[in-house]
Amino acid sequence: MRKTPSVFLLGVFLSCLVPSLAQQQQHFYNIDKEIHIKGSIKDIIMEPRYKNSSPFLVVVLEDKENQKIYNIEVSPIWFFENDFHKGEDLHVTGSPYTTAENEQNVIAREVRFRGETLVLRDKHGFPTWRGQGKGKGRKRGKNF
Amino acid sequence: MKKHVMITLLIFSVSAVLRADTLSLSFNQNVTDNLFQNRYGESDRLSNLGFYLDKNLGKFSLYTQGSYSYLFENPNLTYYVQDIGADALHALNQRSALYFSLSGRGAFYRADYGDFNYASINAFAAFKSYLSPTSIFKSNYTFEYKNYSSSLFDFSSHAFMISLDKFFQTKTTLKLEANWGYKTFLHPYQTEEFTTTGSPNSQGGKGRGRGRAGNQNQFLIRSQSEGQGIQVFSLGGLVAQGLGSRVGINLTGMKQWNLSGQNPFAYVEEYYAVENPSYDRFSWQGYQLGSQISIVLPWNIRTKLGYTLSVKEFPGIESFDIEGISMDEVREDTREQFEARLEKDFPAFSVFLSYYFIDNKSNDFYFDWEGQFFSLGVEWNLSLGGK
Repeated sequence: MRKTPSVFLLGVFLSCLVPSLAQQQQHFYNIDKEIHIKGSIKDIIMEPRYKNSSPFLVVVLEDKENQKIYNIEVSPIWFFENDFHKGEDLHVTGSPYTTAENEQNVIAREVRFRGETLVLRDKHGFPTWRGQGKGKGRKRGKNF
Repeated sequence: MKKHVMITLLIFSVSAVLRADTLSLSFNQNVTDNLFQNRYGESDRLSNLGFYLDKNLGKFSLYTQGSYSYLFENPNLTYYVQDIGADALHALNQRSALYFSLSGRGAFYRADYGDFNYASINAFAAFKSYLSPTSIFKSNYTFEYKNYSSSLFDFSSHAFMISLDKFFQTKTTLKLEANWGYKTFLHPYQTEEFTTTGSPNSQGGKGRGRGRAGNQNQFLIRSQSEGQGIQVFSLGGLVAQGLGSRVGINLTGMKQWNLSGQNPFAYVEEYYAVENPSYDRFSWQGYQLGSQISIVLPWNIRTKLGYTLSVKEFPGIESFDIEGISMDEVREDTREQFEARLEKDFPAFSVFLSYYFIDNKSNDFYFDWEGQFFSLGVEWNLSLGGK
């Protein structure tokens, strides 16, 4: 195991390369427009959001400060992994955009509730929910 | 060195070929003062290197992960585990969804634990539905088949779960859950009344400090003419209270009954890295009470503190005294477990620190033990797909 540092360094080196690889992809998450919302859940729905993707868990959130309504895009898989309920308090960090129907949507990067923090995207806005937990030795579906 | 670099390059090559969406790398360092979870505590350090890859293919995704664990004091227990699987999420409507997964696993231990090498297949189906915006119904089914190097342990199992919860305006969630499980040992029985079985590759030095009263056996099996299946049923409940978005408290309770069958193994030595056929979810009846507090500290440091008390009786598993002589009693353990965990996400990686203290009181002299388990881990999550 004295050899481990070499693997460690290689991992760090490659992790530095990854953002530049990912920059070639189309972006949906705008890190410069990030907002923070503290609100209360008004509704929870599953619906398709992106082509060739599983349906998303969408939480309808009312901002406690100004009563604005936001549709928070959480992730596909976390519909099963976490049990949100109407009336629960959420603290969301995400990137907003407005739909053609003038609805306020937010792509969530981080959701905090009941002492738990769900990190859905990294600081660059890349989804982390794809591989969520499995690198930590969890099985998919274990918490379902 | 060469070997590790080759493995790392192989992982990246595979991820490039598959055009993976996610590549995660992890390194965990674990320290314990009781590796085998028995009275004769033995310290060891375990280093774990892991990787995870997945590829999203529209409605379903493919994933694979590997984990190599090296033990410093017991290198002959070093092992590698590889998983591969596919899963899919299907929305039935805006309130309900189905989830399916099919996965395979191979676990490869070095010589001292070679009998426990296995290949397994796991199928999982889950259904979740919002009966109302404040109430959720869930059910799932799990099938597992494990084929061990020592066929004595081969089994298949089925498990069903249903749960119903309700969230109240006081920010309190109540949840009830029922589980049923059936496990079949496929061919563990012998013709003699009692059979002592040592590993075929047992050696004098094997299992330092492990065998009871000088006995080097890894497991004992006994004859049994009745059915080979174990059937269990459990009822559980949870009360969770949110105190704002930063603090959550939950209390859990569960009681499990053995409906039929009993464990064919009178004794299987413990090794905390291995699921023990005599200490899995089917092996006991009794109850478990738990409490946990989750706090999000400043700088977004996530903290969890938990305490669990379990009282378990193991039908079919005998209790032995200090000399290794049967006491004609069923083994019964009262276990208290304290755990603490800290997690922090940084822009490029995540770290965690966890600590467990376990006090296991047992009417079996050998399994009356205390142990501490300390882990430190770091994980890089490399997203290769688009935003």
